[in-house]
Amino acid sequence: MISLAKPVQLGWGVRREGRSLWTRNAVKGVSVRGERRKRDGRNEWRRWDPSRSKVAASLLKTKNKSSDLLPESGSSCLYLGASTGGTVSHIHDHVCGSGNHHEGHVVAVDISPRMMRNLVKLSEKRPGLIPVLADARKPMEISPYMREKATWLHQDLSIGDQAETFVKMTGAFLAQGGVALLSLKAASERWMEGGDLARFEHSKRIIEACEHLDLIETIDISVFEEQHVVFHCVRIP
Amino acid sequence: MRGIEAGCGFRGIVKLHYDWRMARVIDDDGVVIDEVIWTSKRSAGIVADRLFDLQRGRLSAEARVLTERFPDAEVDSMGAMSDLDWPSLEDDELKIFEAAAPILAKRGVANAAGDVDRRLDMLVSSAAELRSSWTTNESRCVEWTGLFLSEVDLDAQRNDIPEAIAEADSIESAASILGVSAPAYSPSDIEWEALRDHAKGVVELTERLSSHEDAIRDIAQQHVPSLSALIGPLGAARLVTLAGGRERLARMPSGSLQVLGAHAAMAAHRRGAPPPKHGAILFSMPQISKSPRWVRGKIARFLAGKASIAVRCDHFGGEPWRDEQVSAIHLETEAIKAKFPKPPKRR
Repeated sequence: MISLAKPVQLGWGVRREGRSLWTRNAVKGVSVRGERRKRDGRNEWRRWDPSRSKVAASLLKTKNKSSDLLPESGSSCLYLGASTGGTVSHIHDHVCGSGNHHEGHVVAVDISPRMMRNLVKLSEKRPGLIPVLADARKPMEISPYMREKATWLHQDLSIGDQAETFVKMTGAFLAQGGVALLSLKAASERWMEGGDLARFEHSKRIIEACEHLDLIETIDISVFEEQHVVFHCVRIP
Repeated sequence: MRGIEAGCGFRGIVKLHYDWRMARVIDDDGVVIDEVIWTSKRSAGIVADRLFDLQRGRLSAEARVLTERFPDAEVDSMGAMSDLDWPSLEDDELKIFEAAAPILAKRGVANAAGDVDRRLDMLVSSAAELRSSWTTNESRCVEWTGLFLSEVDLDAQRNDIPEAIAEADSIESAASILGVSAPAYSPSDIEWEALRDHAKGVVELTERLSSHEDAIRDIAQQHVPSLSALIGPLGAARLVTLAGGRERLARMPSGSLQVLGAHAAMAAHRRGAPPPKHGAILFSMPQISKSPRWVRGKIARFLAGKASIAVRCDHFGGEPWRDEQVSAIHLETEAIKAKFPKPPKRR
């Protein structure tokens, strides 16, 4: 098959071809939510849809190096607000690989039992993926599952005070130099004079005031997901 | 359990770190003073139990032993994670841990059914859906029958129509059940069958709705007895569902409770319209809907305050309200009504 765009490797398990993203499928022959798969030699690649995953959207929309947003293969990651595990599965593809040969650790937290059903099912075929039914705002409920501090953290919660929670959780769980992404959903924040923009500004100020985080970039992903921005932060060593 | 017996007589600040496998007491310089390791037989189920306890902030058995040995030790439940010398998981430990996590998650999923709020939510939402399809189906059934049986009184006999059609074996026999003369035109056999099946559906929907409401009443009277006594079990259940659980309703200011179910009006209020006087549930109480409009807001405010106290009694383990307390409240609403017999003068 002739593909027009030459793949650009963003990490061990993530590549970009033109405007589409693909991850190296850890469970060959299986799509998590009906996404396209394609073979390339011995590997199978699974399409990572940016309109369904805010992490994928920010990889495409960032003005910096997109590989900076990704965790290292074999690292410990914490995903707060995992939902049914769509994005988590792609992170797992990259961090753990098939049979977890990278020895990675992806802790996926969600509070909803309905979502947890799917997440547990997903984890059965993906060693290294740890489903945790817990309140993502309570460090105590998550810490027993962490083998060490995470070097990559993504928070995607639809509750109020997302920035405050982000500051608290990165303080508790993010290792020095670790990458943290906050997908901020404006619709979940309290009503504020000035609409969504004011809410984004408000959250930005909270992150900027935080001593342990360095805000690298505010990524506008409104092309893929309305009323959302992603804050890319790094924990100050 | 295996431990190092040491550190007796040590004074200074020491920290207690622990995870599901072991516990350690560490001094300021990171030197391990004492250590207890969980050595009894390990299984995924037992690890799941341990993880569950840790999640709730309880000490592991090993950590408890160490707090007895070092009563002054500073317990840090997050310590193990940031301790650079903390031993990493062995292969067999990793295996058992990875088996334990889904067990715990599955347990949580199964236990969701123990949450009465979730069960009530299913019932209330399902009843609302049933009711909306019942109204469309029922009115279609009545109109359809009325087309053929021109003498049927569509208002007085409305409630008998679906059942009469469902029980009859032809439009003529339905006419005699309803006590009217036979139709001028009859439906064809296949058309009659469709009409009768439709009527059967309506009868069945009616039964389903009533069994739903019986179940809601039963649960609401146990879950929120005082609120049920005050505003009726169905209304109480809908309030709990709208608020997203009994706890949330109990923690809600009474002003918010007052306008539950008035989403559109609240949205309009933000854009400058006058605030809603009451939400849909409070309005369904005869004390409000049967009162003159100029006292509705006053009564709604008063009842919302009482309802808010009632649900707090229910949630935080107070004594359920008795009938005389509820009737005293209803007397007071009458007093409010009596106090304002005439509409306020227009300025």
